[in-house]
Amino acid sequence: MIDVNTPAIACQNLWQVFGPGADKALTDALSRSGNDADKAATDLREQGFIPAVQDANFEVKEGELFVIMGLSGSGKSTLIRCISQLLPGTGGEIRVDGENVIGASKKVLTDLRRKKLGMVFQHFGLFPHMTVAENVAYPLRVQGVSKKERMARAQEVITLVGLEGREDSFPRQLSGGQRQRVGIARSLAVNPDIWFLDEPFSALDPLIRRQLQDEFLRIQATLKKSIVFITHDIQEALKLADRIAIMRDGKIVQIGTPTDIVLRPVDDYVREFSKDVAKGQHAKVASVMREDEERGPDDPGLTTSMTLDAALAHCMKLYEPVPVRDVDGNIVGTVHPSDLAAALQVDEA
Amino acid sequence: MTAVTDLPVPQARLTAGAQAALITVIVGAVCLALEGVAPWLVKWPTAWELPATQWVGAFLDWFLNGIKPAMRLFSDLMTYPMDAANYALGNTPWPILIGIVTALGWYLGGLPMAALGFIGLSFVLASGYWAESMNTLALVAVSVPVALIMGGAIGILANEVPRVKVFVQAVLDIMQTVPTFAYLTPLLLLFGFGPVVGLIASAIYAAPPMARNVMLGLERVESEIKEAAIMSGGTRFQQLFQVEIPAATTQIMVGVNQCLMAALSMVIIAAVIGGFNDIGWEVLLTMRKAQFGESLMAGLVIVVFAVVIDRMSGTLATERKRYDKRVVWAVLGFAVLFTAAFWAWLPNPSDLTVLDPMAGAIDSSLTAFTQANGPWLDALKNNSLFYVLLPLRIGLDQAVLPFTWGFQWTPSMSWGLFAAGTVVALLMAWRGHLTGGLVALILIGMLETGIANLPWPFVLTGAAALGWVAGGWRLAALSVGLLCTILVSGLWERALLSLYLSGAAVFSCAVLGGLIGLASAVWKPVWTIVRPICDMLQTIPLFVFLIPVLMVFQIGEFSAFLAICAYAIVPMIRYTRHGLVNTPEEMMEAAISSGATEWQIMRDVRAPYAAPTILLGLNQTILYAFAMLVIAALIGTTGLGQSIYLALGQADVGLGISAGAAMAILALIADRMVQGFAEERRKALGL
Repeated sequence: MIDVNTPAIACQNLWQVFGPGADKALTDALSRSGNDADKAATDLREQGFIPAVQDANFEVKEGELFVIMGLSGSGKSTLIRCISQLLPGTGGEIRVDGENVIGASKKVLTDLRRKKLGMVFQHFGLFPHMTVAENVAYPLRVQGVSKKERMARAQEVITLVGLEGREDSFPRQLSGGQRQRVGIARSLAVNPDIWFLDEPFSALDPLIRRQLQDEFLRIQATLKKSIVFITHDIQEALKLADRIAIMRDGKIVQIGTPTDIVLRPVDDYVREFSKDVAKGQHAKVASVMREDEERGPDDPGLTTSMTLDAALAHCMKLYEPVPVRDVDGNIVGTVHPSDLAAALQVDEA
Repeated sequence: MTAVTDLPVPQARLTAGAQAALITVIVGAVCLALEGVAPWLVKWPTAWELPATQWVGAFLDWFLNGIKPAMRLFSDLMTYPMDAANYALGNTPWPILIGIVTALGWYLGGLPMAALGFIGLSFVLASGYWAESMNTLALVAVSVPVALIMGGAIGILANEVPRVKVFVQAVLDIMQTVPTFAYLTPLLLLFGFGPVVGLIASAIYAAPPMARNVMLGLERVESEIKEAAIMSGGTRFQQLFQVEIPAATTQIMVGVNQCLMAALSMVIIAAVIGGFNDIGWEVLLTMRKAQFGESLMAGLVIVVFAVVIDRMSGTLATERKRYDKRVVWAVLGFAVLFTAAFWAWLPNPSDLTVLDPMAGAIDSSLTAFTQANGPWLDALKNNSLFYVLLPLRIGLDQAVLPFTWGFQWTPSMSWGLFAAGTVVALLMAWRGHLTGGLVALILIGMLETGIANLPWPFVLTGAAALGWVAGGWRLAALSVGLLCTILVSGLWERALLSLYLSGAAVFSCAVLGGLIGLASAVWKPVWTIVRPICDMLQTIPLFVFLIPVLMVFQIGEFSAFLAICAYAIVPMIRYTRHGLVNTPEEMMEAAISSGATEWQIMRDVRAPYAAPTILLGLNQTILYAFAMLVIAALIGTTGLGQSIYLALGQADVGLGISAGAAMAILALIADRMVQGFAEERRKALGL
């Protein structure tokens, strides 16, 4: 039964272990350690296996943008490949729309991919021998959709990602940003419910990256897909995510909203990530607000949904201008505290 | 425990290399010392030999006779496409064929390729070997599709089933080392004399490169492209044929190119068994009659075909531009019109004698040349034989005679040489190069004894030692085990002779090729000259190498040596240059900014970095030398090559296959050892 509360994706005790005979080794290691994931993982490592994903548990809700973040080698790419079943998964469960896909037949998986899943790759994964339109239409072609129909649909998504006019180009004739637009268009061709993006913007220049992030948010605002998004960039994660899962050495160490991650890191590893993040941009006033305490007379007009930066600027307005001195201690000018706060704010993109 | 005792104590222990060399020295010395008492140490007694050759022969006779009916049926079937191709090529008027090739050239590569096709075929026409060439071409035209389908299917199958892949790769590795002639003898028994043998041999010979490249190409398709195909919801069949194979086209086309060249090369080699009036037979015939002008002419026709086929199919593997199709139609139309208009006047291509005077001129000028330079050429040949090849083969103790060196070698001279060797070894050991010193001692010992007379325990120990250093115990065991099969099968002496000739050729190629490669790397103009020569040498079918050396130096070991060198030197040059040129820019800049001179950069940075690549070049050179060794048996070598060639003449499958297997074993061991060293170097550099 599928009801509105069924999560789009649910992972339970998901393991991906590499090495010959990994299935059995995992079962053995878990029974030896009494289902203690950490002990089992150490045990497996000692035997020469690589537990790339260890005991992952999370849910992605309908229409949620779920970001998995971690450094290279933390297992995030392996995790997304488990969910999309490019890797088989060694133990546990992955439910897509309530149905377990681990151990599902080839036919079921192919059907699932034809109807419900779309994926974008870090290095685009474009077919070099096909034009842009042919690339985008390929997921429809494998289903036997007529040429006319699939080209019409391809045209729609190509327009959606802003590549009109490049339909007949080959991938090699495009820039990196344009290539990833093709990758995005292709993954949307069958109008999937679930969208996997594996570091889609990591191979791009910072400027193009920002541009594509914004367009991605625009597309998502209209399409409302359930998304698993992989990145190693904390700024990107905070900017895009509804919720973030942080991975380290194959383990998910924290799952939370961007504010949680920035303000309430569970350990030093997560804290290290959020260290050079301007917290004021991401945390809202609500997150530092206390109820029922004595208040002073001033009221700069704060609201719960204001960012900390904005709130600070408002508070600063209450102060009088103050003097500024040179090295010898002579007063040379004046600063308005509200200007200070404003200067430190990053312009909202 | 205190910190002091943890400090590394200066190690008195020997390195692996020194240990291996020391054991080899000791075994060699023992063998030398006991030479008089126990002659069985030097020469494996005939009484101990197993009649393995006969066993193999009997088994194969039985086996081949068993599958003969099926094979004969297959060969009967193959005669249809072959007759058809022969008829089509033989009866199409030549202007139309030239037109087709020119048009194809234009379609594939524009004006340069069209010109190449036109000039090439015009030369063939003018040479008067048109009919023979068409016979050869017909064989290639039928064998290549067979090879492409077989190779492609094997490659795809290996890609789909991992277990098959391991097996296929092992078989391909072995096939690479089995000499070409060795295929022919069993085929001869199966199919009888005739062109079908050539056809099937070339199909078998040409399939592996196709299979290899299909496997490689499919393997190299970016994993994300494969994943994208999966995520698009394609079935495995759709993934393979709609995405992976098209994405691997470039590599597969490299396979097509190599397949074509291998087929051509083998078709020409197969002419040795005769029975078919093709261009390879023409070369052989004129060579036997010592009509070198004609033979060179026919050889040039082969080269022309090789170049045209290679360059045209090579364009398939590069990114192609589109050329105006109207030109194709215009060329074809012109060819048809030309044929129709001059139908009555078209000469029979076989009667064309335009270039006959040239062949005659070559013949006479060659005679004049050899007469004028006779003493000088003879001196070159004799000196190389007496002072280099002969001592290597039978050792200083037998090669130094009053007739050759002007004096007689005496046992005391041997002792003197060994003493000098020991002094050198001690000196080097004292300077810290213990392994080098021991190796020097071993080499001096080998020079005194001669490779053909090396005691078998010494060879086995040496192989084990090298194998151990290069790849550990498994390689050592493999080498010894395989060598023992040669030892007991009675092919040992011939194997040593083969080892000597290919060893001498490989050594020369390594030194000379290494130097040329070095010069090409540091000095651009050298490479602009060397490169087209290398391209040319690699395009020419093996067989043609024999013609020029035979013309100048007649039949004999020296000619064979030269032919092997000419063929086997190319990879050494290429890989040496490639390795040296491809030093990462950053490493060079780091060396320059440290103030290193050009020479220091070469010695300390570029050479060490290039070492694994150069070793791979050496590996290729060894394999090339073994391949050519068998062909060179046509012009007089002893050893396994000769046995294989004789077996072919007598249709002796046992001998042919055993000798072929022995050569394959030698090549395989050499290949594994050099690969082992290269791998060790790569690991040391962290590549």
